[in-house]
Amino acid sequence: MPRFTLPALLAAALIAAPLLSTHSFVHHLLIMVLFSTLLGLSWNLLGGFAGQVSFGHSAFLGLGAYSTLLLYLKLGLSPWFGLLAGGAVAMAVAVPIGLICFRLRGPYFSLATLAVAEIIRLVALNWDDLTAGPQGLIITHLPATSILGQTVNWESKLPFYYLIAVLALLGMGLTHLVARSRLGAYLLAVREDLESAEAVGIDTVRTRVLALALSALLVGLAGGFYGLYFRYIDPDAVFSVALSVEMVFIAVVGGIATTAGPIVGAIVLVGISETFRTQFQSGHLIFYGLFMMLVIRYLPDGIWGRVRLALKQARER
Amino acid sequence: MALLEVTDLGKNFGGLRAVSGLSFSLEADEILGLIGPNGAGKTTAFNLMAGFIPPSSGEVRLAGRNITGLKPHAIVKLGVARTFQVVKPFRKLSVLENVTLAAFLHCRRRDEAMAEARRILALLDLTDKAEGAASDLTLAQQKRLEIARCLATRPKILFLDEPMGGLNATEVEAACDLVLRLRRDGIAVILVEHHMQAIMRISDRVLVLHHGVPIADGRPEAVVRNPEVIRAYLGEGKT
Amino acid sequence: MQMFLQSLVSGVLTGTLYAMIAVGLTIVFGVMRIINMAHGEMVMLGMFGAYWSYSLLHLDPFLSLLLWMPAMFLFGMVVYRFLLRKIIPGGELNSLLYTAGLSLLIANLALFLWTGDYRNINLPYGMLPARPFGISVSIPLAIAFGLALAITSLLSLFLSRTDTGRAIRATAQNPEAAALMGIEVGRIDMITFGLGTALAGASGVLLAPSLYLYPTVGEILIVKCFVIVVLGGLGSIPGAIAGGVLLGIVESLGSVYVSVAYKDGIGFVLFLLVLLFRPKGLFGVGRA
Repeated sequence: MPRFTLPALLAAALIAAPLLSTHSFVHHLLIMVLFSTLLGLSWNLLGGFAGQVSFGHSAFLGLGAYSTLLLYLKLGLSPWFGLLAGGAVAMAVAVPIGLICFRLRGPYFSLATLAVAEIIRLVALNWDDLTAGPQGLIITHLPATSILGQTVNWESKLPFYYLIAVLALLGMGLTHLVARSRLGAYLLAVREDLESAEAVGIDTVRTRVLALALSALLVGLAGGFYGLYFRYIDPDAVFSVALSVEMVFIAVVGGIATTAGPIVGAIVLVGISETFRTQFQSGHLIFYGLFMMLVIRYLPDGIWGRVRLALKQARER
Repeated sequence: MALLEVTDLGKNFGGLRAVSGLSFSLEADEILGLIGPNGAGKTTAFNLMAGFIPPSSGEVRLAGRNITGLKPHAIVKLGVARTFQVVKPFRKLSVLENVTLAAFLHCRRRDEAMAEARRILALLDLTDKAEGAASDLTLAQQKRLEIARCLATRPKILFLDEPMGGLNATEVEAACDLVLRLRRDGIAVILVEHHMQAIMRISDRVLVLHHGVPIADGRPEAVVRNPEVIRAYLGEGKT
Repeated sequence: MQMFLQSLVSGVLTGTLYAMIAVGLTIVFGVMRIINMAHGEMVMLGMFGAYWSYSLLHLDPFLSLLLWMPAMFLFGMVVYRFLLRKIIPGGELNSLLYTAGLSLLIANLALFLWTGDYRNINLPYGMLPARPFGISVSIPLAIAFGLALAITSLLSLFLSRTDTGRAIRATAQNPEAAALMGIEVGRIDMITFGLGTALAGASGVLLAPSLYLYPTVGEILIVKCFVIVVLGGLGSIPGAIAGGVLLGIVESLGSVYVSVAYKDGIGFVLFLLVLLFRPKGLFGVGRA
């Protein structure tokens, strides 16, 4: 199969998908799948490839969302630049956090991420002047933008769909590049054994900080998107442990350290959430938990990881 | 100037002096055996020199450059590689990937690094295992894999921590030949080993540690006749 | 001064209960090397147990300890035997993620069954004033404190005086050696997990009259618990006790002298500082 066939097919599918239905709920579902894919991809860079399980990734989502909205509301900066700025802020904050937390190993690192995220949430909750505290931030109007001579009106869901599709493709592209690069190899080494990794000349702190920074960049972008799409954020929504756990879920269920796994994980997550959310409140979380346990027990490489293995075995036969 | 110069190196863990007053030098074409009864501080000495534990006192110089307190990866870049007493391959990765990872230190591109890794695997007789998982290798093969990983970092000095531990007679023989061959290729070797025959056969010099303190340093034949060394070993109920 | 003593006393009382939860987490970690992310849910189950036996059977919560502690012990053993046993060999990250899933499952199942309403237990003697030396002390909290001390002491006695207790300590020190000495490590793991769960459940029962209870309360408690075991050193029982009391005091003083809003934040900052500078805990006894 030529090298560009798969990405081209994927891009074509992404462009065509929303045209199959004009129903705005379908568009919403597609948006949520791609948004979740982006979250899963970013968590996977750090948790999957480098084996550093973060329970506090919503910190970066919140930082991205708040940066985007604050830059727009307070300084009038175009939200589309604000989105990029959100990614940059999340990445910039990730570096010192990484330098501190990566002095810790394994479960200690996971606990530290949880604490950092809680500290950031508390700050957002109490820094009223900047964040409006628990009231949250709200956008009433998004200005129309002009892209390639076309005026894009943000009142329908379609432009949001294409925006998140671009971001998700960016995330996949980045993951694909990392997986094939020296950095990707180094991340696997770090996951397997820190001491051995040092012994072959890998700067394990720098490698992990880099993985965290890239991961935070993607989550930060996703956060900016979240803020613009829902037009409302508050600390408990964007800095929540539940969001962090969703990211873990998507990556683990889809397949750790894979490029396509998070898509599968995202579809499962959104599927569960939409099926059960309407039936009974927060019932979907029961199934998140159950699903995660089942996958770890019976498919430790995740759904896509298992499929990939089966495909490989079939090809060899 | 010696390739490696260690001066008065020491480490305290709480009140315990694990290593103290360790001084020696290593020439570029030398094989140095580091021996001593169990708990003499040999592995700690390796950890101190390779940067895995910061020393409490003393200095380590590599070709005149002070490398004391550098992080392990920085020391590896300068040309000092080590193996572990309990082998630590990247178990879930293939043998080839294990060595490729190390080769990335000097080759940025993946294809270059893989070519280098294959060359080294051939050298260590692991070519036919290249695609298999590292965890499927025998102990002797895993020890060779660790050495292969070290070689891929292009070391000037190799620290081998019990490269013969747990091997059978034939494998020990092969390991000795390997160490001698490494030296011929211009790599200085320090090895911690309990296998006395092997040490006596391949070492140019032997350094004896006892309770963290060096008690003898010299040619192997001379060292084994040193009364203090004999006492140290017999005192521990060992010969 | 009066205010300082007041917050010190209430800090010590609450802290002792925190400590009991943390001891449960830490013995499980000590023996099995897993951090049970669902430990907070075990506390929550204890709280709801006390709540239901009080509101349906009019059983005094402190008396219901006799029912819920053994029940939670059994529950823990069942969870270990049928859920965790196969996961643990897969490595510590797998168990971390697996118990995170379990935590989500239990908390939200409880949310589904019992709704997210805040509930509380109003004991007839809960409102009586008790003012020894002019410091006001809540009676239910004082009773809980006494029982927590008693249970924790009994646990230490059990660990030091009985064969099973010694086997648990041996396994915590070195599982391979313990197995060689003829200790059935699988059985010890199961009992330990049961004990950890029973301690969590018992603390829940004891806390029930003093806290609002709701299904996701475990989320906050587990985070506090992490703070404590890291303060005290993971795997160390005395460390967990000291860490628990310390956190109780810091929170209590912090909410008076710093700010109520950042009360929880103080604990986290302390947590990060300790993780960074004393990763083996304040007393240097844990395993980093």
